[in-house]
Amino acid sequence: MDSHFGQYIRTRRQELLKTSNQYTVRKLAARLAIQPSYLSKVERGEVAPPSEATIIRLAEALGEDPDLILALAGKISSDLRAVILKRPRLFGELIRQLKDAPDHAVLRIAREVRDGKW
Amino acid sequence: MIELQHDRLVFSFPEVCPAAVLWVEFRRALRVPDDGQDHPLPPSRERFPLRHVDDYAARVPAAWRAHGGVMLPMYQAEALWIAFDSAEDNYRGVCYPFAVKVATGKINAVSGTAWSTGLRQHPQDYVVVPRQPWLDGYCVANGSVRQFVAMPLGMGATAEEQLTGEAAYGGLQIEAFPMKRHVFERRFPMRVCHLRQSIEVCFCEQANHLHLLEAGLGPGGRMRQKIYADPYALKDWDLEHSSRCFVHIANSMVWRQVTGENPPIKPPTAQKYAQAGLPWFLWYDEQHASLAGADKLAGLQSVAGPAQAGHIEAPAKNQGATPERVIAIGPGLPGKRVREPKG
Repeated sequence: MDSHFGQYIRTRRQELLKTSNQYTVRKLAARLAIQPSYLSKVERGEVAPPSEATIIRLAEALGEDPDLILALAGKISSDLRAVILKRPRLFGELIRQLKDAPDHAVLRIAREVRDGKW
Repeated sequence: MIELQHDRLVFSFPEVCPAAVLWVEFRRALRVPDDGQDHPLPPSRERFPLRHVDDYAARVPAAWRAHGGVMLPMYQAEALWIAFDSAEDNYRGVCYPFAVKVATGKINAVSGTAWSTGLRQHPQDYVVVPRQPWLDGYCVANGSVRQFVAMPLGMGATAEEQLTGEAAYGGLQIEAFPMKRHVFERRFPMRVCHLRQSIEVCFCEQANHLHLLEAGLGPGGRMRQKIYADPYALKDWDLEHSSRCFVHIANSMVWRQVTGENPPIKPPTAQKYAQAGLPWFLWYDEQHASLAGADKLAGLQSVAGPAQAGHIEAPAKNQGATPERVIAIGPGLPGKRVREPKG
């Protein structure tokens, strides 16, 4: 099972627990509408990461970026998947081309408004 | 280069200067009564949604694809104003200056002349940002503009049709010219930063119905607004690095067919707005020289004309309204440079 995902969740939860008692396993599980024992097993890497919807709620509860937490769980969000599946060859090639590009270069990919003949 | 970010056009010129960034947005406006009187500035409403024409290439006219650019939805007889802002240079504490040409149907909204390349100072055919925070209409007299109002193309109501006799282009055209960098650095030497006043302030088989889709802008009611004279020299502007954008106007009634998105809700009338006691605005700035109106623009007929002649469906009721609350805003006055109704 993916222990890295679980470790990240546990570490983040424990950091927040230092400032608020709302981040005990029991209280956080209640907010996510899952069993505390299941959350514990997720944190220990004893079960596979939860569903996309639960991971997104978990990310929001922990103040984390949903795409980051989904990636840690080995998933991509359904909306991103839909974007890629609509034009798989185009986005597949784009992502491969950018795999080693530095962050600032990726962030500078901007779509220009096209000017034509007036 | 020009990008589309959050329904705003972002003109940037990194090859000139990192601070040379201009934001242009198109905002919905209350239509001022077309009663021959000069009215205060109407309050700002939300931005019009902007979309790349290329994203809907199969459902827009061929001419739109050829022009490129972006598109926005407007109801017939709805009003629009254009807001400008530019990036502040942190080392100089001033916003980067731009000369911006604005045309409707390729008729210059400041000079009334046909679209041309470059800039002209006599008569001036552009506005200077940031001094000019917004443009609400055609410059018809010193201190007075006639509001930009959307009308269908082909009915003779737009400024383009009145002046050229043709409905060839429609839409809006914008071109921005940054100040030359060495001129900017000479005119605004580095100094300790000081606070600036921030301005918060688009058919295949349906081709025979295209005229229902396309709109242009014509002159509506008058309002008090100065178009400021260029305080710089013409040679200060970098004519080698301009960027331009064609902004197509789609009738809101077909916006959903083209984009799949709901158009904005219909705007309230000026009368209802005034009855609700909501404020109008007066931009107070006596210290800067402003342009005389363009004779060609002053001679335009109101968009109400074709409706009265029975050529098109009459615009929504737009009787006179007397604003009870007029708020003065401007440089040196307390408060921010905003046109947002509050309560």
